[in-house]
Amino acid sequence: MLRLPVAIGMIALLAASPAIAEIARVKTSSGTAAVDRGTQRLKPAPGLKLEKGDRLVTGKDGRISLTFIDNTRFAVGPNSRVSVSEFQYDRTRQKGQMVTQVDRGSLAVVSGKIAKSGRDSMKVRTPNTLLGVRGTKFIVEVPK
Amino acid sequence: MRSLGAPAAALLLAGCATSSLVLLPDDEGQQGSVAVLEAGGRPADAVIADGNSRTKLGSATPASRPLGSKGLKKGEAALLTGLPPPAKSFLLYFDQGTVQLVPESAKVLAAIRQEIASRSGPEIEVIGHTDTVGGDETNDRLSEQRAEEVVNWLGSQGFDRSQMSAVGRGERDLRVATADNVGNAANRRVEVIVR
Repeated sequence: MLRLPVAIGMIALLAASPAIAEIARVKTSSGTAAVDRGTQRLKPAPGLKLEKGDRLVTGKDGRISLTFIDNTRFAVGPNSRVSVSEFQYDRTRQKGQMVTQVDRGSLAVVSGKIAKSGRDSMKVRTPNTLLGVRGTKFIVEVPK
Repeated sequence: MRSLGAPAAALLLAGCATSSLVLLPDDEGQQGSVAVLEAGGRPADAVIADGNSRTKLGSATPASRPLGSKGLKKGEAALLTGLPPPAKSFLLYFDQGTVQLVPESAKVLAAIRQEIASRSGPEIEVIGHTDTVGGDETNDRLSEQRAEEVVNWLGSQGFDRSQMSAVGRGERDLRVATADNVGNAANRRVEVIVR
């Protein structure tokens, strides 16, 4: 009995979203930098469309910048591993939720419409903390 | 993680105890805040709200210090410089019941073209709207056609269609609230968001 609502929810989700849901685009990258998607390693060329679950990985001289479809902006610094583990955004209602994981390195964030759409609808996880973003600009650093 | 003894867990936490947060005012000068919802695996309920402050993360009761005269570290400043430019939004207006742009919109088209050309890896979202003259279905179609018209024009200017998405919202999202069947120039529009 419990399974039914979940199944219906998933059908609704599938119907509402296109096959590949773009969540963000790479704007710039430099140095040693990659986007890991499953077992694939992609080059973060400007305009690369990012998907939920993608991992942004940089080496000691690497950087990646990106803008999400809700206007959230990221700059990933050197020696970093950052992934967007959850992302949902309804363009029409301008509401959504996202969770970003900063495993190591540094990330600058300017929050967008998701953070404005509800209390703690944008979260950032570091190895020792879960943060709820309430509309702002900030930097998270996680040294190795 | 659960099977680890308390000392081992404490060691693990100590290993990443230097995670930190720098909180800044946004580009409009507004100060937001960041809540600490969990610290060291336990629920927490603290709010970091001081602008231009640095906070060591990991404690349920984090203490923020002002950035002070030393300001941002070099790496932090470089990170901020590397942020993409904010999204920019433009409005184009149309003649009643048509996909014909009003003459004044020509210079907005030029500004849109320039904005896209100035950006690395641009994404363009085009959203068409109508006023309340005409039926819902007609207006849904008209708003889509207006959005398509703009996308076609951008395509003719050499921009890649894979950068663009177009959607029509009919009369659902009026810029100026009116009764049904009221012509309103401000509502007959296409919004173009360049990211």
